[in-house]
Parts: sequence; structure tokens; C-alpha cells
Amino acid sequence: MLQHRNEKAFTYLYDNYSGALLGIVNAIVTDKETANDVLQNVFINIWRRIESYDPSKGRLFTWMLNIARNAAIDEVRSKGYNNSQKNVPFPESNEIAGAVTGTDITDVGLKKILGNLKGELRVLVDMSYFQGFTHEEISKALNLPLGTVKTRIRTALIQLRTMIQ
Amino acid sequence: MNVQEYISSGIVESYVLGLASEEERKEFEEYCQQYPEVMKARTDFELVLEKQAMQNIIVPDPSLKSRIWNQIGVTGKVLPMVEPVPVRKMSWIKYVAAASVILLIVSLYWNISLFNKNQELKNNYDLASEKIKEMEHDKQVLQQNPHVKMASLKGMEASPQSFATVYWDTASHDVYLLANNLPVPPTDKQYQLWALLDGQPIDLGMLDYYVKQKKLLVRMKNAQKAQAFAITLEKKDRSDVSKPQGDMYVMGNL
Repeated sequence: MLQHRNEKAFTYLYDNYSGALLGIVNAIVTDKETANDVLQNVFINIWRRIESYDPSKGRLFTWMLNIARNAAIDEVRSKGYNNSQKNVPFPESNEIAGAVTGTDITDVGLKKILGNLKGELRVLVDMSYFQGFTHEEISKALNLPLGTVKTRIRTALIQLRTMIQ
Repeated sequence: MNVQEYISSGIVESYVLGLASEEERKEFEEYCQQYPEVMKARTDFELVLEKQAMQNIIVPDPSLKSRIWNQIGVTGKVLPMVEPVPVRKMSWIKYVAAASVILLIVSLYWNISLFNKNQELKNNYDLASEKIKEMEHDKQVLQQNPHVKMASLKGMEASPQSFATVYWDTASHDVYLLANNLPVPPTDKQYQLWALLDGQPIDLGMLDYYVKQKKLLVRMKNAQKAQAFAITLEKKDRSDVSKPQGDMYVMGNL
């Protein structure tokens, strides 16, 4: 039965790729609990939209990765404005040192590699890939010509690629 | 077309990572069908990315799988068939009358929503033009500047989902803030940016008004030295603004 076969395939996708997809979601969302919520929506989207996956346009993992990235960016953009505001005092200086080191540890994967890019290229990749701004938005925000934004992002991506290979 | 040049232009990476424009995507997909080398370059990069992702997995919450399975209802149940409703015969004039009433309603609705949309776009446009003007004088900062360092400020306990980005020019000491995601502060409070040096906070200015315009860079006070940056939420009528008193919302190092 087709339905049954789909369930098996879906289970396979979850068991094999949920960890990798959570890796990318977490690089954008940063909060673990929220990242898990986003991942839940990612898999529901994968389940619902699997018919629209077109193998001629790329590998299945790439398709899922882009769904995950988009969902994470949507989450960051839509939420957070109505957060409850709890009372937490400003930490002591030694706590700050510890927490700052802590932020380093959460930077894994692509986000960590991003740190190896030089200043401006890093800014461009951060804004486009991790924060989801379009080339047009970046061009306006940084007052750079659109063509320049495009070529520099491409240069940055080529450098990133050599770093992960 | 020089295929090799095209492949090494960065379009492959840009396409696979989802950063290519609609136009670039279409062109790239055509070339993939036309040139096996382009297709191979795409697959090669996809595999690099996949391998990289598989080496950086984060194990999901163990309860997540059942939550997903519950939500999509993959329990093997078969949905009940819906009985088709028998259609009564109607004369054609009734169909025409019904259709024209529907068309009229749809058209009225459409007119109203287009008018509203148009107003909204006009307002947004004016606002955007203002913002761009404000930023003109900031343009040198991130343009061709190798001295710019970036710090991602991540949400602290008071607001784990918050985050912000600081761009710091180590040569001119200019500090720019991108408030990606900060909750709207209560009216009697405002956010304050701090540079942290050896654990000591240094005031870099207030940003009460700008947090709503999250896409724009806000210029803050200059920082001579910094190891990290943080944002706290402070009372507006505080007498001594040189020391933080409120909750810390985000923090990150360079």
C-alpha cells in the first residue's frame, strides 16, 4: 500500500536526517527548545510537500535542508516580540566570562566555519544565509550596489566551500 | 558559454544553499539539463554540504518523533470516503444568476482589498525611504572594510529567543547594531548596549526607539576595546547609566 510505503520512507528520513537538520535549525534559532519545535514543523512540511520534491532540481537532502533553513528563519522573524520578560539580574563579571565562552561552544557546523571568513564577507554570508535577507535588502541596508553584494556573496561561498571540503 | 567559468562563478553554491534569485535558479536548472558538467558540479557540492551536515548533527528531543507522528496521523488509518451529494437539476438561468451574484461579491471584495493593500504599500514605501536616507552617512562602515568584526549576541535566560548582531570596526572603533529580534520594551524601559572588557561593562548607548526596525543597522557609541557585547533592559529615568542594573537579554563575543 502506497500510504504504508510512504510511512516507512518518512521514518527512514527522520531516523537518518533529523539530527543533521536540527544542526542547521539550531545554527539559526540558537535556543534548543525552539529549535526542536521548528524541526517538528520541518518534518510536517516534508511530509506534506514531498510530492512537490523534484529530483531533477537537486538531492532530497538539499531540498530538506532548505526547508529547514527557511523554517528557522521564519521562526526567528515571526516570534520573540511578545516574549514574557522574566527578572534575571545582570551576571557578575566571572559569570560573563563563562557565558561568553559558552556561546563559542554553541557555534558548530557552518556557523563555526563562518568565523574563518574575513570581516565583510562574513557579514554578507551571515545576513544572507543565516538571517535570510535578500540580496536587495542587503544592498539597501549596507548601501552597496546589488551587483557587488551578489559577487561578494558568491566569493564568500566559494571560500566557505574550500573550508568545509 | 564557458561552462567551466560558469561553474566556478559561485552560482553552484549559491543555488544549492538557496541564495540564488528566481532568474538565476531558472537559468541554472536549464544548464543542468544541458551540460552534464554543471549537473555534476551541483551534485558534488550537494554531497560536500550533506557530509558537512552529517558531521554536525544535534540529537533531537526524544519525544519529538511521536509528536510529529501524532500530528500527521501516520497510524495506517484509512480516511473515510465522502459520499457524493446528489445534484438536483436547475434551469440554466438560475446558474447564470447565481454566478453573477458570486462574481459581483468577489469583485467588490477584491476592490476593497486592493485599495487597502495599495495604502499599506504607500505607507511602507514612505517609511522605507526615510530609513534609507537616515543610513546614507553610515555607508562607509561595512563597505570594503576588512577591519569589521562581527559578534552574534545570543538570547540569555530573560529572553532565550532574542538575538542581535554587532558589527565593530576595529580601526575606526565605530559600532553598529542590528537588533534582529528583541521584544518590544515596556514604555518606561529601554535597551542599552554594552561592550564587555575583562568582564567590565562599558556603556555604548541606548536603543529604545530602533528595536522595532530590526532590519536596519543602528550606529552606537564607539568602542575602543571590547571582547564581547551585551544588551540589557534598563529603566529610562536611571541617574547613573554607566553601570547596568537591568536584565541581560543577549550577549556574544567577537
